[in-house]
This record gives sequence, C-alpha cells and structure tokens, in this order.
Amino acid sequence: MNPEEPKPLDTVAAVDAAALETEALGAAAAAATVDAVQEARVRYLGRRSELKQALREVRDRETGMALNAVRERLEAAFDRRRAELERAERERDLAEEQVDVTLQGTAYRRGALHPITLIRREVEDIFVGLGYEVVDGREVETVHYIFDQLNMGPGHVTRSPLHTFYLTENTLLRTETSASQIRVMEARQPPVYMVSLGRVYRRDTPDPKRYPIFHQVEGLAVDRGITLADLKGTLQLLLRRLFGEERSVRIRTSFFPFTEPSVEADVECFICGGEGCRVCEYEGWIEVGGAGVVDENVLRNVGYDPEEYSGFAFGWGLERIFMLRYGLPDIRMLWQNDLRLLRQF
Amino acid sequence: MKVPISWLREYVAYEASTAELVRRLTISTCNVQRVFRHGVADENGNLDLFRVGRVLEAGQHPNADRLQLCLVDVGEGEPRQIVCGAWNFGAGATVAVALPGAVLPGGQKLERAKLRGSVSDGMILSERELELGQDHAGILVLSEPAEPGTPLADVLPLGEEVIEVETTPNRPDLLAVYGIAREVAALFDVPLAPPPGVEPPRAADEPVDVRVEDFEGCPRYIGRTFADVTVAPSPAWLKARLAAAGMRPISNVVDVTNYVMHALGNPLHAFDRSKLAEGRIVVRRARRREEIRTLDGNLRRLDERDLVIADASQAVAIAGIMGGAETEVGEETTEVLLEAANFEPLGLLRTSERLGLRTEGSNRWEKGVDPYLAEQAAALATQLIVELSEARWTGQTDVHADLPEPPVVTLRPERANRLIGLEVLPGEQRTILERLGFDLSEEWRVTVPTWRARDVTREVDVIEEIARMKLDEVPYTLPVRREMFGRLSRAQRLRRLVEDVMVGCGFFEVYTPSLLAQDEHEQALRIPEPQSSEQSVLRTRILPALIEAARHNLAVGNTGIALFEIAHVYLPTGDELPEERWRLAAITEGGFSAAKGALETLHDALGVRPVLVRARESLYHPGKTAAVQAGVVGELEPGLLEDRWGAFELDLDTLLAVAPERPEYEDVITFPALRLDLAFVVDEDVPAGDLIDAAREAAGPELRDARVFDVYRGEQIPAGRKSVALALEFRSPARTLTDEDGARLRDAIAAALRERFSAELRA
Repeated sequence: MNPEEPKPLDTVAAVDAAALETEALGAAAAAATVDAVQEARVRYLGRRSELKQALREVRDRETGMALNAVRERLEAAFDRRRAELERAERERDLAEEQVDVTLQGTAYRRGALHPITLIRREVEDIFVGLGYEVVDGREVETVHYIFDQLNMGPGHVTRSPLHTFYLTENTLLRTETSASQIRVMEARQPPVYMVSLGRVYRRDTPDPKRYPIFHQVEGLAVDRGITLADLKGTLQLLLRRLFGEERSVRIRTSFFPFTEPSVEADVECFICGGEGCRVCEYEGWIEVGGAGVVDENVLRNVGYDPEEYSGFAFGWGLERIFMLRYGLPDIRMLWQNDLRLLRQF
Repeated sequence: MKVPISWLREYVAYEASTAELVRRLTISTCNVQRVFRHGVADENGNLDLFRVGRVLEAGQHPNADRLQLCLVDVGEGEPRQIVCGAWNFGAGATVAVALPGAVLPGGQKLERAKLRGSVSDGMILSERELELGQDHAGILVLSEPAEPGTPLADVLPLGEEVIEVETTPNRPDLLAVYGIAREVAALFDVPLAPPPGVEPPRAADEPVDVRVEDFEGCPRYIGRTFADVTVAPSPAWLKARLAAAGMRPISNVVDVTNYVMHALGNPLHAFDRSKLAEGRIVVRRARRREEIRTLDGNLRRLDERDLVIADASQAVAIAGIMGGAETEVGEETTEVLLEAANFEPLGLLRTSERLGLRTEGSNRWEKGVDPYLAEQAAALATQLIVELSEARWTGQTDVHADLPEPPVVTLRPERANRLIGLEVLPGEQRTILERLGFDLSEEWRVTVPTWRARDVTREVDVIEEIARMKLDEVPYTLPVRREMFGRLSRAQRLRRLVEDVMVGCGFFEVYTPSLLAQDEHEQALRIPEPQSSEQSVLRTRILPALIEAARHNLAVGNTGIALFEIAHVYLPTGDELPEERWRLAAITEGGFSAAKGALETLHDALGVRPVLVRARESLYHPGKTAAVQAGVVGELEPGLLEDRWGAFELDLDTLLAVAPERPEYEDVITFPALRLDLAFVVDEDVPAGDLIDAAREAAGPELRDARVFDVYRGEQIPAGRKSVALALEFRSPARTLTDEDGARLRDAIAAALRERFSAELRA
C-alpha cells in the first residue's frame, strides 16, 4: 500500500467512481472463496482503499453522496457474495454427511397389551358409552351366588362336579360372572346397568376351542320397561361395533334357567358375508352367545318386583370374540404368551 | 337328534324348502346343526347308476378262491361281468348293482376294474355299502321281484335328506320326529297328522304281573305281552329309517322300540318274557350292592338310590337307562314283555352320572318325558310288533299313580307385549298358542299341553312361546335409561394406567392360569378333584407363572423378553372364601436395575414415591431384593433362568390406595430452580437412599428433587469407603434462591450427613 500522502483536492474528482465500482463488483463476483471475498473487500473498501481515501477528502456534498452510494452498493455486493459462498460451502459439507436412510433407527422397547385385554377394553368402552358401569367380581364364589340365586335347579348340568371346579361342597370357581350381578342387585334397587368381565372356570379338556379357564363378559340391565327388543338392539349395537357396522344380527330361541325368554345371538358371518364358509360352518351365521330376559325368579330372589321391573342379560366369551375377529385357530395360543404372537397386536 | 325329512313329512305335509325349514326351526324351535344326505347321493345322475340286477351265472373266479365271477343282467340286453366277494347268492338272485361311475355313499367313485385278471364291470352291493343297515356278511339279496334294469331307487330307500337338530334340555318333546313335526305345523300353519300308532285287536287277555313299589321314581308302567313272536331282521323301510336317523338296526322287536322312541320320544324296552322269573315285573330301588350285567356286557354295581326293573328274583334292567343282558330279546325269543313306562328325571340323571352311563333313553328321561305319552308309544309299538313279527298281543296292564294335571296359567296379552317390546294382537297371540297345542279359555286361562307341562308353568313361560314365534319381527331398540352414568371406577382406570405404563416400558402383557401344580403358601386353596395335577392349587403369587412364561419364550428363541400380568391372587383367610386381590407382577431380562427402573417409572406415573428397604423373599436373589410399599422388587434368584433377570410383584389395591386422587398443581416456572451437585465420602455399607432421606430432612421443603448420579470407589477414596454423588434441586415457591441460599442449604446437608454417617463432603 502506498503511504498516505496528502493529495490535492482535484484528485478526488479524478476518481472515476463508475469504473471503480465496475472493477470492485467484478472482483466480488470473481472471488471463489470467503477469504478471497474478504481480501477484495479490504482492497476496495478498506481504510486505505481508493474509495475511502476519496471519501475522506471529498468536499462537495454531491460527490460525497455519490461516493457513499457506491460504497453501500459495494458493501452489499460483498455481503451477498460471501453469503452465497458460505451457503455453497455448507451444502458441500452436508452433502458429504449422507446417511443410509434405510438403516433402522435407535431401538426403543415397545410392549403390548394381551389380546384378551384389548377385547376387554373395547367391550368395556362400548358399554361405558351406553351408560353402564363395569363391575369386578370375585372368582371363588358360593353355590348360593353361582346357582341358587340364578334359578339353576338341582338337576342343572353345570352344577355337576363333572363340569365345575368345586373347592368345597359350598364353594367353587365361578362358572360365569353373573354372581357379581346378583351381588350388585342384592345391594341396591334398580336401575342397574352393568357389565362384568373376568375369568371363569369350567371343566373342559383343553382343545383348540376350549380351555378350562376363559374370560366372559356378562351384561345386565334392570329397569322399568326393559324389553326383549331392548336386548336385541343392545346386542346388535355391540356386535356391529365388534364385527363391523354393516353386519346383520339375529336372535333365536334357546334355554337358560336364569332367563325367560332365552335366546342365542348370532352375527352374520363376516368372512363370507352370510354366503357360507368354513368359519361359520356353512351356515352364514356365527353364534356368539346366550342372552335373554331376566327370569322373574332371579328378580324375586334379589328382592325386585317383576311386575314393576324387568331386565335383560347376556354372557359371551372374550376369547371367542378375539378368535373370530382375527382368525386365531387355537384358544390355547392365548395362554402360551409367546412374544411372536403378542407382538402382532 | 337326526330327523330324516321323509319321516318328518309323514307327520306334517309342509311345502317349504329344506333351507326355509331349517331357518324357521333355528329361530323359533331349536338349532339345526347340519343338513346332510344319508345314503346314495342324488347329484349328476348318480341315482341312475344304481340298478336292479339279476344274476345269470355265478361261479368261482379262475384265479381267486374267495371271489365269485358273475354275469349280471342289468337291463341292457348284454349282461355285465362283475367280480364279487360274497357267496350268499347264486344264479337267479335279484341284487343291487352299482355301475362304473357311480359314487357310493362313502364318497368313493366306482371304476371299471380288473380283479385278479378278470374285468369287473360294476359292483354287487351289500346293505352297508348302501347305508341301509349294518349287514356286510353278504350282499343284499332283494326279496321282492323286480325287473333287471329297474332303478334301484324305485325298490329301495336309497338316500334322503336328514336334518340334525340340537335341542335344549327343557324340550324333551323335541327329541322325537313327531315333536319336531308339531313345531313345523305351528311354524308353517299346516295340519299335523294324528300321532302314529293304531292299536290292533288284542288276541287274548292274559294277566300281566307288574308291581310298582316306587311311584315316585316310576309314575307309570304299561306292560304288554306278546306270544308267538318271530324275531327276524326288520324290513328294508324300517332299517333305512333307523339308519338315516343314526341308529343301528338289530332285529324287528328291538328296532320297533328304537323306532317308537325316535318317532314319539318315549323310550321303550322289550324283555324276553320267558327269562323273567315268574314272568313278573317289579319296579323298585336296587338293593345295596346289587349287580346287573347290562346289554353292553358290563357288570354294574348299584345301590339303594338306583331304580331298577326287576323280575321276581333280581334286577333285569336299570330303569330307563339300559336293559340287562340276561333278559335281552334274541333270535330264539318267542315271548316278549314290552315296557312303556315313565320315569322321574332327577333320580335317573343321578344314577346315569354315578354309573357314567348315558344312553338315548337316559338322555330323554333325564329331561322329563310326558307321562301321558306312554300310552301312544305302547300303541305304536304294539301295532308294529304285531305287524312285523307275526306276534299275538296277549295281555296288557297300565299301573300308574295319579298323573299330574297340566298347569293352567292366566295370560295378560298386554304384558306379553310389554315384555317382548312388540305389539302382537291378542287374536294372534291366541292363534300362536293354540297351534302349539295350548288350550285357551275366553278369559285367557291357558292350559298347557302335557308334553310341555314341566317347562311352561308361569305366565312368563307362555309369553316366551309367543316371543319365540315372533323373534324375527322383534325390533332393535335400546333401553330408555334414567339416572345412569357410565364410567370406569377409579381402580379400573388406574389398572388401565398401570397396564399402559408397563407397555410403555416395553413389557408384554401375558395371561397365565390361576391354577398351579403347587403354591408355597401352605394353606393355599386346593381343588379336591383337579382336572390335571398341573392345575390344582389357586395361586397366592403370580411370579412363578411369569418365570414359566419367560422360560417358554427363551426356549423358542425369543429375545427382548419383558412380561407382566395383572390378575387375582387367592389368599386363604380361614373362612370358606379366600381374599382375592389384584396383583401386578413383572419379569424382565437385565437384573435388579431393569426391574427397579420399571418399578420407578410406574410409581412416578401414579405419583407415588417408592420407598425401598432391603428384604428377602423366595425366588429372589438374597442380596438384591427390596420390599417396597406394595410388594417386592429384586433380581431373580440365579439359576432359575439363564442370565440375570429382574422381577417385581405388587399388590395393586395397596399401590392404588397410596396414589393421590389427583396431582396437585405447583408453580415451578416463576422462580427458577437452584441446582447443586454434592459428593460425599461414606462407609461402604451406608445405603444411598439413607443419605437422600437425611438430606431431605436437613434441607427441608426447599429440596425438591434428589438423585444419585454416581457412586465411585478407588483412587483418593480410602478403602472401605465410597463416594456418592448427589444431584440436588432446590426451589422456593416464593422467590428465586440465591447463591447464599445455596451455601446455607449445602452446609446444613453436609452437617447432617457428617453427624449421621461421618460423611465427608468432597471439594
């Protein structure tokens, strides 16, 4: 750099602002690196640059303003070029950091609810939505709550030790969850809208369809004016939620000591749509479980007046619902607890 | 119960298709399990391939001693050569022939074949091959003359449609073709034929010696005697009907008893009268240890609760269940005593259970057969015995107690509508009931038919009869609820939360049996007669079953095993019912800290601070186990499973009881926290938890969180001592804590720990 020397005033005018600007803009555009931009900036805008010198020395206002405008434009041009180069550099760097996006990510453990719980929750939620309460009951019960109060006479088949697990003459593992319904009804007057879900026990030899322990959902509604039609509507609603809104539902006659009239509920086969297939055994309908209008004797047993109140009840196996819906071939798989099965749900 | 359609149509001439019949029966009467064709299939011209044949020549097969080579005229002009393995016929016999291409009842398709060098251009059939009976000793020789080439279906009942129904225990009347016919007549509103059986004239009036000592067990006993009986195979129509109904034809007399049972629902029995001591029948309870050899050849021991049919000296049948071998009707029998009785259901059921002996007869009696039915059954049996065995009916007696009057109940038609939820006009209600055999007065007094007298005793039972006939029309409605609000209880909601937290921690939920082979609790409840020894005791802990489940998963090569279960345990109380409590148990790969981490997350989610105290418990590592408020957490005892595993088991009721109802809001935003890391050197045996407890006590409520972030032993730490580094977080709800506050709190904690544990604060 030239040492600073005083220059005569006329040199200022001699600076060809336009040429200088063109030259500086060319240098900015030519700079290939951030450093080169910086060098050019110092050369054209630095303290000792021709432009700065001219600005220091300029005296007339008009020239000063023109030179300042040049300076501002050059500042902006250098900034722009610098940013451009920085962006390019960053892009170059990032491009080198590519990952294989198909590699798996950091592993988080994920567990799963058991299929029976999934169905249990689904059924609970449907009935909670309908205004029912969910009642937990005990599994070891007395003959009074399992059989006597449910109008099951001394000849009823499930009373036989061939079908039922007795602990003593008077206590047994519940064969259905209805005992908890009796306990609720004994404790208060209608209205009662409840479902009870849980384990029940029957002396069945394990095979693909049966296991001596399984889970039931039983529902009970007792109120003024409850009808068989209300049962039919409730079952249809439940079955459509579980198996598809377009399914047909029918009821057909049956017999249980604790209901009169008694019915079985069938849902139209959701595999074949009623055409007939292996799942529905070519009937087009799949049996889901028993139901009926609560027998007058049961109401009387708990101190309800059957002339004033009526009710309906139903009871189904949760495993069966799950197996039907997912096509699980063997109930015993639900008790094996193999992660290969559990991970799927 | 199998119902051959042709048999059904004999009693009720309905017009509907079988599919419609099945649909209506299923909705209103009983479930139809299946529809099948018994005998020869009637598809693709199959029936045309079964013909009447006349044997023109029959002789020894040149290359096989046991085969005959026959020439059979099947009406084609040219006879066919057929090889046959039976020898009960010769030239001139009229036989049943299947031609090549025919599909036999078993599904086998017949081909033209070469047997030992000779072409067989068809097959001469036996009864069994046609499903007309059991006889397979020889081929079926037709007794009635028929032209060769006549379709076999014209002379024999070759096949027919059968429906198989599943009836409910309240409907013994449906265990009869006539009973099903009665329903069909009501369903389709078509006439029902009168019950089958027209008594022939009685040839003599000899006395029949029947004594009923126990009218409770046997309210009615009709005994009829027959002489000059010729026991022989039944005619083809009877054999075919029994076979189609799933019964084995035996001989005319025995077949008649089975036929009548199937037709009307009243089981019968026939004795060889000449083998009854003094020709007498006594209905009584068995004597203690009395024995009888039953028809199936088994010797059975009875007791005083069992009802028997005896002769003058010994039991000759177990009443209603099975006859005795000694008085069985056989080929040589010429005198028969027919029993058409009625037995009480419950005692008979108990006997059948005690003996483990269930028969077609007991299956009906145990449901309660109409005592008025015996007469009709006797009439039909008498008619058939006389017809088929050329016997003479020589005597009869009918011993009975007062038979029950059928129930009469008052029906309120409006109540029926109220219960069903469907408007059925009174006139229609009346028609429905009358078609089903009920009798109604003007005032709606309903007299129940005798065959329904056990099942229909109340107004609501009559309402069910109307309802079942209208089930298809009942609308779908929902209860109009009042005053009800549905929600899960707090315990149920928290159980779901626990499940979700465990799943979030990577655990899989499992379901294991409540019954185990054994439980460590000495008083654990035991099933006196378990189904298997593997499931005989009600568990008081869940962990053992989880160890089993983990073992299964290891054995099949699964990895990442972490399991939990929520279920009841059954704690003995000394009373007859155990205390049932909800438990959560979990097991995971990875030792103590893996289990404790999940336990802490669970407690955090419930807003409970776990308090751990070193403890010992079976199945856990003695040095790596702690008691926590609601249970136990620890490392699994080494050796139970490969590698290190952690586990815990918590009483959920206890855990949920200490969980706050709802979290309390506090302002942790306005005044920032002050954080200090302090390390103390203490003796090796001082638990970190004790340091934290003491720090909390010394610092007061401003200490909001304290956790151990490092435990160090080694250089700069004397032997037998360790350095425990604590991360402490202080906050005041009222102001920002200053450095001076920090110094004050640090000094207070350091002083307390120095005093309690000789702890040195490291610089």
